[in-house]
Amino acid sequence: MADRLRGLLKGAIGPSDNDSRYLLDVHSRELPGEDTMRQYAPGEEVDLVIVGAGAGGSVLAQRLARHGWNIVILEAGPFWHPDEDWVSDEAGSHELYWTQNRIIGGADPIELGKNNSGRGVGGSMVHYAGYTPRFHPSDFSTLTDDGVGADWPINYEDLRPHYEQVEAELPVAGQNWPWGHPHRYPFSPHPISGAAARLWEGAHKLGIEMRVGPVGIVNGTFGNRPHCIYRGYCLQGCKVNAKASPYVTHLPDALAHAVEIRANCMAARVEVDQATGRATGVVYHDEVGGAEILQRARFVAIAGYSIETPRLLLNSISSRFPHGLCNDEDQVGRYIMVQGASQTTGRFPDELRMYKAPPPEVSSEQFYETDLSRGFARGFSIQTVSPLPIGWAEHVLADGHWGRAMREYMRDYNHWATIGVLNELLPQPENRITIAEPIDPYGIPIARMDYSLCENDKSNIAHSTEVITDILHAADAQDVLTIYRYAHLVGGARMGSSPQASVVDANQRSWAVPNLFVADGSVCPTQGSANPALTIMALASRLAARMASGAAMDDDPLARAGTGTRQAATPQHARSRSS
Amino acid sequence: MPDFRDHAHLPNLRPDREPPHPSWLPRQEVGISPQMVGRYPDFDVLSAADTWDEATKSVVMARLKDPAPLRFFTPDQEPTLRAFCDTVMAQDVEPRVPVAEFVDDKLAAGRLDGYQYADMPDDRDTWRLVLHGLDHTARTRYGAAGFAEADPENRETIVDDLAHAHLDGGPWEELNIARAWSVCMRAILAGFYSHPWAWNEIGFGGPAYPRGFMRLGPLSTTEPFERHGSTSEDPVDAVHQGLGHG
Ligand SMILES: Cc1cc2nc3c(=O)[nH]c(=O)nc-3n(C[C@H](O)[C@H](O)[C@H](O)COP(=O)(O)OP(=O)(O)OC[C@H]3O[C@@H](n4cnc5c(N)ncnc54)[C@H](O)[C@@H]3O)c2cc1C
Ligand code: SF4
Repeated sequence: MADRLRGLLKGAIGPSDNDSRYLLDVHSRELPGEDTMRQYAPGEEVDLVIVGAGAGGSVLAQRLARHGWNIVILEAGPFWHPDEDWVSDEAGSHELYWTQNRIIGGADPIELGKNNSGRGVGGSMVHYAGYTPRFHPSDFSTLTDDGVGADWPINYEDLRPHYEQVEAELPVAGQNWPWGHPHRYPFSPHPISGAAARLWEGAHKLGIEMRVGPVGIVNGTFGNRPHCIYRGYCLQGCKVNAKASPYVTHLPDALAHAVEIRANCMAARVEVDQATGRATGVVYHDEVGGAEILQRARFVAIAGYSIETPRLLLNSISSRFPHGLCNDEDQVGRYIMVQGASQTTGRFPDELRMYKAPPPEVSSEQFYETDLSRGFARGFSIQTVSPLPIGWAEHVLADGHWGRAMREYMRDYNHWATIGVLNELLPQPENRITIAEPIDPYGIPIARMDYSLCENDKSNIAHSTEVITDILHAADAQDVLTIYRYAHLVGGARMGSSPQASVVDANQRSWAVPNLFVADGSVCPTQGSANPALTIMALASRLAARMASGAAMDDDPLARAGTGTRQAATPQHARSRSS
Repeated sequence: MPDFRDHAHLPNLRPDREPPHPSWLPRQEVGISPQMVGRYPDFDVLSAADTWDEATKSVVMARLKDPAPLRFFTPDQEPTLRAFCDTVMAQDVEPRVPVAEFVDDKLAAGRLDGYQYADMPDDRDTWRLVLHGLDHTARTRYGAAGFAEADPENRETIVDDLAHAHLDGGPWEELNIARAWSVCMRAILAGFYSHPWAWNEIGFGGPAYPRGFMRLGPLSTTEPFERHGSTSEDPVDAVHQGLGHG
């Protein structure tokens, strides 16, 4: 009975305290309020300046604006006008990505660019795929429970209410979720494509449970946001407004509450008062070759993505912080993580046309936690994906084909279905962001990212790739191609219980500068095998609540250490203080 | 007509890992496909162009314009560039997708991919070195004046060695060859498979905004404007069984 009622109400109840869905225009995709938004003078001290209008920065701004804070967001990329700027085309979407140079090194360098981060109002979620799973409760204590990774200074219960709130705001569509902390979604699952159905069948034969979703894609209508039209170009920016990104889910409400987004403004460094050690604002350029401008603020929050956030801190050099801001303990940039994201693609007799429907459709978290019989710690998730032609050509290339063989496989494109994994690769100190020699067009030194896999990572990747290959065989695939790749960066300014082992405390406040916060995926100490965007938004939502109440500015050492003190001190006491 | 439900044409499943000669395929009948081969002879993605949004249409249609002269590569690099692009995409006759022009435009405009391997030069220098290297190997190994002048089989052998990082000497010593291959192929594949002629060849439905896709399967996966791959079924039987095209 209760389930039936809940079923009837699916899609009917929206979030309170966020009117973005009503503020959007039915006939135009522009972010309403660009022309009428509040404008602050740089010399005017605002309450908060945020670097980056992405997943973390936008949620933080929307929440605190509702509490009456005066906020400026500096965003390096453009203010999008989707009707004109975004196209239903793979190669034509190059401008969405952060394509300024970065150096990649280490034993297993990670290819960046279109595969990793975005640049512009809305951040990387403008072109993310749309999977929005939660982390599992087990993610918050892998060091204690699995002997690998790190313990978070907060736990799942600290984030749970924020997961629920953000899921209502995106809104997330999916089946009832049996893994981690079991939960339901506000919107019903989407219909799935023939390609995803084949993959699900294969998994089913092997006893692997899969579920539809979870995706941040409107199923039905949501205020003035329409239903998905299954056109499959989610990674090129949704021209429909069906897919969630801060551009449609949080920024309209933020602009309506006196937030100013200053687009095409590249932050160069955080300015610190050398006498008090407090941040006074952020220095930025509003054009290439332009003068430095200081936006003054009482508080500073950095949310520039896992590469740019450490880069900005490391480039903020002063006599007080000669090795970069908050870097006295050499922690900034370390423990950067990516998820293994191998994909296998299988051939079927029928035309499946995987380009239809959103790429994210069906997933499984059955292998998420440690299973010692597999011979490695922690696990992986499985998700269907569906590359468009250029993306799929890269698969064919990765399997060793070019020339006539490439053309032959590509002509076969409509017969293939693709499934991928996300591996929880472990945080390691030498996987890190540093500053490289070359400079960007603004004259700011660029980032270098070094990455090497450890043995546990390699075993996880090898095992999980076997599992998805088995799924394809069980589905009676006639041929199988494999590509090894990576996705989703987090870490680099991690939260923790002591300044010696982290950059920010349990409230995402930097240990070194009392009014400086980090509000993006950089703060994650581990990454689980769930896609990170929902967690990044939930973290920002929690941070906002605690900044608004003042709890985030608590100088009490136990409050700053969070649940990380639980082994040392009285566990229950420490835990309740952080939530 | 060949049977596309079968998988005998897939290189991995063939003894020599080589595909059959393209002559096993039907000729393109409507619209254009590269070399006029394809699996969807009566499908032209451009027949739906009037349903695309303006922004997308202008980006896609620009690819059909007559290619402009090269801006990034010099006239003496041009033959090697063209021979390389033709060889890796097996474009031996007209009509060709103008891949060389796509690469040239990307590099001239500095639209790079957003990362550079620590042990590699800038992508633009990588391209120049690869072209030098191809000429170097064609000269030293086959006595040809350059890569473009080498026999097609020899060009393929050189490219195969490039794909397997089995080249050395001269400019190759300055490159991590596997990474250089990936730099070049990323640009080439993006050029080739962003072109509507290639979409015709592979039966890809193309841009779909604002129209969207209605037929996700399992009953049907083709929109009214899309076409099935040609099949071995007798068309009369197919109609009786309700498998009619479109
Ligand atoms: C192809 C692809 C698919 C993905 N799919 C999924 C998925 O299905 N599910 C999922 O959960 N995640 C997915 N992700 C990852 C997800 O998009 C990101 O993890 C998330 O958006 C990161 O949020 P963030 O707040 O850390 O940074 P972002 O959202 O990237 O925001 C950072 C913003 O800061 C700006 N900025 C950076 N430096 C500066 C500076 N110095 N000055 C001013 N502005 C600056 C940037 O321009 C950017 O707009 C995907 C990513 C990609 C690339
Ligand atoms: S498939 Fe749906 S969510 Fe994805 S881009 Fe198209 S309309 Fe948007």
